[in-house]
Amino acid sequence: METWRLVDIEYSNDPFMNLAVEEAIPRMVGERKAPTTVRFWHNSNTIVIGCFQSAKLEVNMEACKETGTKIVRRFTGGGAVYHDSGNLNYAISLPKGHRLVPDQNLQSVFQKLSEGTVEGLRKLGVRAEFQPVNDIQVDGKKVSGAAGSIRWNSVFHHGCILVNSDLSILGKVLNVPRVKLEDRHVASVQKRVTTVRDELGRDISTSEVRDAIVGGIETCYGVRVESGVLMKEEVGLAEELYQTKYSLLEWNLEP
Amino acid sequence: MDRSSDYKALGGKLVRVRLKEEKGLIQSVKITGDFFLVPEESLVKLEKMLEDAPLREQELRLLVDRFFQATRAQGLGVSSDDFVKAILLARGES
Repeated sequence: METWRLVDIEYSNDPFMNLAVEEAIPRMVGERKAPTTVRFWHNSNTIVIGCFQSAKLEVNMEACKETGTKIVRRFTGGGAVYHDSGNLNYAISLPKGHRLVPDQNLQSVFQKLSEGTVEGLRKLGVRAEFQPVNDIQVDGKKVSGAAGSIRWNSVFHHGCILVNSDLSILGKVLNVPRVKLEDRHVASVQKRVTTVRDELGRDISTSEVRDAIVGGIETCYGVRVESGVLMKEEVGLAEELYQTKYSLLEWNLEP
Repeated sequence: MDRSSDYKALGGKLVRVRLKEEKGLIQSVKITGDFFLVPEESLVKLEKMLEDAPLREQELRLLVDRFFQATRAQGLGVSSDDFVKAILLARGES
């Protein structure tokens, strides 16, 4: 049976380093220097914007200053998300050509690599389902959003799961353009998202959700997930990416 | 003259165009939004290709189609047609 590496490495108070690690892993997987990897991690009080987004347009800078919210740009497309300690992030890095995603189609990647998360959430009792383009929803409300890329000879998919996040901050720090909300017949971003806690009607930790998703991944993909660590070369690459990219205002805030 | 548009693509993704126009020609354009495009670096090529292009549908459509053919870029949540419509919306007509 195929074995995937599980890494829980995180820098919860340094979102810039978190994103540097996020990029280092698929690069190393693509070079066949690291095995297929699942990573779980947290950020505290951070907005993560998509690589094509304008920070100035998407983010309420004043609200970020008031709430001490950091802003970091990721290397994948998609929309801005708010991370706090109640938000669980997961990332899957596969070598290009992997049997699960043979056709290099990004929509297929999102669909296939969301299945483990959907299965994990269902095991917990959440009626989760994948909703194209890149969401996992419960009764029409988003509980998780995904993004990904096909590059560096790898296939990469990551997502964030609202487990017990503070949704009141979400609505303050993100500017959601009116045109984006119009066809959903809802007045705010806060009303079209939900959390695992709210769906289950009980307190739940991100580690319980993590364990369920590991189980979902093993069931859905027929693999064994085993705890591991980053290799020295991956850590070195992450540090380099931190210095040259993710710690820089030019990368995070421009345009 | 500065022109802008926020255009919602069919799949729900947002394409935000900010451009400078002079005598009907695009001087420079910045396209942002929550769409997906692989390879990601290709968007800069599209913006470059649009410089000096007339703000007219036929020419824009040819250019954007040529971009997708030449780069073999893969859009998700956004299509060639969405980019054209977003740029035309910035002109003031869709």
